[in-house]
Amino acid sequence: MIPTTSTSGTQRRRAGWVLGSPLLLFALLFVAYPVYQGIQTGFFGLTLQDPTVPFVGLANYAKLFASSGFLDASRFTLGFAAVVTVLETVLGLGLALLVNRAFPGKKLLFTLLLLPIMIAPALLGVMFRLLLNGDIGLVPGLLHGLGLDISLFAPDRVVPLLVLLDVLQWTPFTFLVIYAGMQSFPTEVLEAAAIDGAGRWRTLVSIVVPLLMPVISAAVFLRLIDAIRTFDVIYVLTAGGPGTMTTTLSIYVYKAAFESGNFGLAAAASTIVMVVLLPFVPLLVRRVARTAEDQA
Amino acid sequence: MGDRRGIRIGMGALAISGLMALGACAPGTGVVGGAGAQAGQAGSGHGTVKMVLWPGPEGDAMQKVVDAYNAGQGKTDQITVDMTLLSRQDTFSKESTLMAAKSADQDIYFVASYNVGQYAPSLDPVTDIDTSAYFPVAVDGLKYQGQLYAMPLDVSNHFLLYRKDLVDALLADTAGRPAYRQVAQQAIGEARDPKPADHWDWKDFVAMSAWFSKSANPGSPTTYGTVLQAKNLLYNTMIWDDILWGEGGSWTKDDKAALTSDAARTAVNVYRTIYTKGWTSPDSSQAEFPETQAALKAGNAAFAVQWSAGFAELNDPTKSPQVAGKIAIAPVPGQKTHVHALAVALNKYSNNKAAAKKLLAYLATPDAMSQYAQAGGIPAMPKVLEKDASTNPAFTQIAESVDKYGYSVPVFPQTFQAYSKIAESLSGAWVGQGDVDTALKSASDELQQLLG
Repeated sequence: MIPTTSTSGTQRRRAGWVLGSPLLLFALLFVAYPVYQGIQTGFFGLTLQDPTVPFVGLANYAKLFASSGFLDASRFTLGFAAVVTVLETVLGLGLALLVNRAFPGKKLLFTLLLLPIMIAPALLGVMFRLLLNGDIGLVPGLLHGLGLDISLFAPDRVVPLLVLLDVLQWTPFTFLVIYAGMQSFPTEVLEAAAIDGAGRWRTLVSIVVPLLMPVISAAVFLRLIDAIRTFDVIYVLTAGGPGTMTTTLSIYVYKAAFESGNFGLAAAASTIVMVVLLPFVPLLVRRVARTAEDQA
Repeated sequence: MGDRRGIRIGMGALAISGLMALGACAPGTGVVGGAGAQAGQAGSGHGTVKMVLWPGPEGDAMQKVVDAYNAGQGKTDQITVDMTLLSRQDTFSKESTLMAAKSADQDIYFVASYNVGQYAPSLDPVTDIDTSAYFPVAVDGLKYQGQLYAMPLDVSNHFLLYRKDLVDALLADTAGRPAYRQVAQQAIGEARDPKPADHWDWKDFVAMSAWFSKSANPGSPTTYGTVLQAKNLLYNTMIWDDILWGEGGSWTKDDKAALTSDAARTAVNVYRTIYTKGWTSPDSSQAEFPETQAALKAGNAAFAVQWSAGFAELNDPTKSPQVAGKIAIAPVPGQKTHVHALAVALNKYSNNKAAAKKLLAYLATPDAMSQYAQAGGIPAMPKVLEKDASTNPAFTQIAESVDKYGYSVPVFPQTFQAYSKIAESLSGAWVGQGDVDTALKSASDELQQLLG
């Protein structure tokens, strides 16, 4: 007997629920519930010292918006995230264009390019701290050998240094995403452009970039979201200083919770970060879904 | 009610991670609070006692004491100690989460003078330990609202670690005095003569920093005079405090924040002058203990105010071949040194308090602390330091310095946060960023808020 369309639809839906339920359960337990608790915590004065746990309403939020520390951290984080995302996307695209051809040693180069994203960020921070140390570090030693005595951690250089390190660490990620997108590239379009006499720059701007836009957008969104929560490398290298010059929102939240013991304030700050970032998620999902539909 | 609060705070800690993780669509920094909120119990008086310590010299030394206890006295007591070494960076973060969740997972926590006020609500006071064998300053630093909340284990203070060969050569060179006076005149506005290191005040420290820097004295044997620990880090506030106290200041006056005092301004200006004139490496803005060790080991700096734990390594020929045997120890200029005790404390929610107390009583004996000293620790008992002076060349000076020059900052619930906020407010000014008075006012306002 041939099943009717509605029976098959019901079965498919049921199968979808069954197959998706472990992930759904995981998301409910480890994402939705903690998020609910976190939002709730932001309305209480939860500290290690105060046993009464008073309901404080929006006081934690008011305190944050009145705090120059939180606002400075927000400004630095957004600026840092914007700069590194632009640089990493442009460099990732450039690398993908360079590597997207056959040449000897390609596999080795590919592996080397991907190494930085395989190392835990905190470990990378410790490695950079040793490599860049003015007294025993390899990099200042090499620079000294070249006649350049540069103090990499001087206050006027520390922000560019952190940008550079983030770019070194995460450009391989944007490269990987864009390179993967290039593998499904319709080569006949490029051949047609070549026949029509389009130069390299023209081909890049008018054909390659527009066709890659869905993957570039995905890479930009993912990097932007991730850069906004930057913590490990900066915390290990500068702990947010000098002063609060390099304090990111994640460092602010960490210090509020674990140095000040003020979980309510830290939860409120986390909620604000989440609210800022949430609009990016549907954009990303829509972009990825549209690409999947186009390819189908 | 208490249980619900514990669960709520524990979930709060988890939720902060969850929020950051969801916001970033990627795993967060990983803070997980337990939810085992149970009232503490005396227990049977034997069994397993679980204890937290941090890794490094203190953890290594304590491991040897614990191993000896488990093999000897522990058998008599019918107690086995299970010690966990958390990461040095995050020990207190993890303990905070356990405390917030009222966890009974650990019986004995590792605490310090600077956070005992914050943790006191999660600890049982120490009532039946004789504290007469400890440094009084170490015991006082662990008291909160008149009660002792932890038992001193290790004592940390600061010294001036300096290149004896270079300073002795300078003192012997009478022909070079006019040149030194000229550099001192430019550095501090006074034409001083060089003095032995144990007679320095902070002006001598600044003048010597200039003399041993190539930028002020091209003939200097070292690139920089000193290395400042100016990173935005709460432990660096403790070192800067030495200048503040040495200049007659303090965090507070009449229970009010007093960081806008003349002494505080002078203390900031000592750092700021040395940094902006280039008498310390520009990288000092991100320096802490390891960077200071590296600068001294490499022979790039002539002296530094450093933690007592740094001395032995600098005189070890295998670890510091360039400078071993040339580094000497002197009191901090101004003759005031921060002292804090690293300590062990009884978890209020432990289910095995009777056994944990037996272990604490054992750790309070001079014999146990002597084992600890011989295993690399610096116990907070002057007589043990005296007895084991052959183990560590710095023990005699530590005993003298802690006793004569030691001070501890006032203990209040937010002491830990106060250190952090002072570093946050002042670390920019230390390295020439912004205005000194604005930074001091910000630090003082933050401190006043925390004092309540």
